[in-house]
Amino acid sequence: MLKEYYLGIDVGSVSTNLVAIDQNGTLVEKLYLRTSGRPVDTVKKGTLMLTENLGDQASIKAAGTTGSGRKLAAVLLGADVVKNEITAHAVAARRLYPNVRTILEIGGQDSKIILMRNGIVYDFAMNTVCAAGTGSFLDRQAARLEIPIEEFGGYALRAKTPVRIAGRCAVFAESDMIHKQQTGHCTEDIVAGLCEALVRNYLNNLAKGKEILQPILFQGGVAANIGIVKAFEKELGISILIPEYYDVMGAYGAALLAKEELEINQRETGFLGLGNLKHEFTVQSIDCAGCSNLCEVIKICSNNMPIAYWGDRCGKWGDLTANELVQSYK
Amino acid sequence: MIVTIPNLGNISIAAKALFDGLKIPYIMPEVNHNDTLKIGSFYSPEEICLPFKIMMGNYIRSIEKGADTILFAGSCGPCRFGEYCELQMKLLTKFKPDLRFIVIDSPLDIGKKAFLKRLNEINLSSSASRKEKLSAMLAAYHTIRILDQIDAKAHELAGYEREKGACKNLLYSCKREASACDNPVQMLKVLNDYKKKLRQIPLDYSKNPLKVAIIGEIYTIIEPFSNLYIEEKLMDYSVSSKRTLTPSWWLKDTFLKPLKINSLAINHAAKKYLPYKIGGHGRECVGESLLAQQSQMDGAIQIMPLACMPEVVAKSILPSIQREKDFPIMTLVIDEMVGEAGYLTRIEAFLDMLEYKRKTGVKWAVCSSFPS
Repeated sequence: MLKEYYLGIDVGSVSTNLVAIDQNGTLVEKLYLRTSGRPVDTVKKGTLMLTENLGDQASIKAAGTTGSGRKLAAVLLGADVVKNEITAHAVAARRLYPNVRTILEIGGQDSKIILMRNGIVYDFAMNTVCAAGTGSFLDRQAARLEIPIEEFGGYALRAKTPVRIAGRCAVFAESDMIHKQQTGHCTEDIVAGLCEALVRNYLNNLAKGKEILQPILFQGGVAANIGIVKAFEKELGISILIPEYYDVMGAYGAALLAKEELEINQRETGFLGLGNLKHEFTVQSIDCAGCSNLCEVIKICSNNMPIAYWGDRCGKWGDLTANELVQSYK
Repeated sequence: MIVTIPNLGNISIAAKALFDGLKIPYIMPEVNHNDTLKIGSFYSPEEICLPFKIMMGNYIRSIEKGADTILFAGSCGPCRFGEYCELQMKLLTKFKPDLRFIVIDSPLDIGKKAFLKRLNEINLSSSASRKEKLSAMLAAYHTIRILDQIDAKAHELAGYEREKGACKNLLYSCKREASACDNPVQMLKVLNDYKKKLRQIPLDYSKNPLKVAIIGEIYTIIEPFSNLYIEEKLMDYSVSSKRTLTPSWWLKDTFLKPLKINSLAINHAAKKYLPYKIGGHGRECVGESLLAQQSQMDGAIQIMPLACMPEVVAKSILPSIQREKDFPIMTLVIDEMVGEAGYLTRIEAFLDMLEYKRKTGVKWAVCSSFPS
């Protein structure tokens, strides 16, 4: 008998995460891949890998996408739900911890705080100007110190006297770290100092004026870093929870939303199937000269056939119907 | 004398009507796009706020096309904006030594004599008769008034339209046609026609769209390029949006200021939270959020350029309003970025939040244990 699953994809700047959930909304299969700057290839590869893991008897009933590449992924897959990552994270967290009141989320390029009250989003903030407190900065520093990122947290835990590092700006933080390293501080103390600096920056930048109440969930790839977790607990003075699927919570939320969408609206899925993913997808940018706005329009082609445009303000390209898309090819 | 002005939403259309009527040669600023910002920030101080940079881009492009006089409405320092013209004069005369700046400040600030002298500078270059001048000024006033009305109505009705995109498309063609007119009478006719057309858009009043107020720093909320076209985006999401600060509001406010009867409702509303003038439109921002709450809107979005001093003060007051009045407010800080991903994420998440709040009927104020 065919087993039905719902697919959720979170296309982030650093990682692309995929999950499959079953009829009950339980996570069955998950995948965490590096986006490596090529979201189209990663989505194709990831979806095929995930469905392979699900076995022959699996069928995808619906798909949802989220993350900064959500629109692109939605076109490739024919997704039923395209949702922002804040809502997706909140939905997933609420599913696992119905009484959650604070969600800390640190991903590759951005960090967010989401406050939940009575099961709905009450307030949120996203980092505005600097990526100092995010995963890609940690990655970079780990590479510079030649520590595998997986062991980064362990180093922080072994520190005896963490050094103080400026956390407001990635450039200041790095020069502070180099200064401390050249004066002879050990790597453990520097790593721990960096973790504390990032947490301080996060709380100052995002959580100012916001009431952080328990239970607190920590999601996103950076939650794997035990050094950051401990620094949060030290700074807040309360313990924080790491959900089992902390690294794919966005994708999990997207899958749950896709399931909900189909169930509530009782409609057919728009999922294009796996065969569609074998097509050759190309992305092209064109400068529209139709008026003085000079929009940068993105054109997505599947086997050289345009399947979507966006980036225009007037709708000249974005509102094209299927027939008109074919026309624009000629 | 060939006049140019900076781009500021609908003002450039009304200014065109004015210059056409006054028979003053002019060069209209290009519609803002990435190139405007690129060249503007190249010639601007690094730390200055975003409007300065966009304006510089407008000026430079117009000067290249032959403009030799810049007409600008100053305001003698409620915030950095008050120093814009001095700094821009210094920067631009390096670019073009014989460039003239005519800065129209309020007579309260510069004195009646200086005010009239500056007005006369424009007057002298006009070849129109006195009667034509008067009617040109009246026509320009009506142009901006009607344009702002059409804008406001289209933004409001976008939530109710039967055919998605009808309001947005109408607004687009209205502005395109109005800009193409070369005399004020014709332009007014076009605008009045569109006002009528707007009334004929099929609506569905059984819809109950989200209603969001746009508040914040005046330049960045009026000039759509600077706020990454937030009002158009809200129209795309079928949200009814409302913005009080418009060019015609500003005109009215400026004329009523000497009599101290300007923005009474806003100032009265803001009284409990911010009873002082803190420069810019900080007090207006606070007052408007409270007025929006009183008129049963779902939430407000504050928009400000990075490091805008008056709005930073307002921003720190808004969370108390959010808490005590059970009224969600989100702040969007904008600068030179043109990538929209993070921006859209915030807007979409905010709209989701408002939707859930409506659906569940949860009272925000009850959720928080903050002492009010």
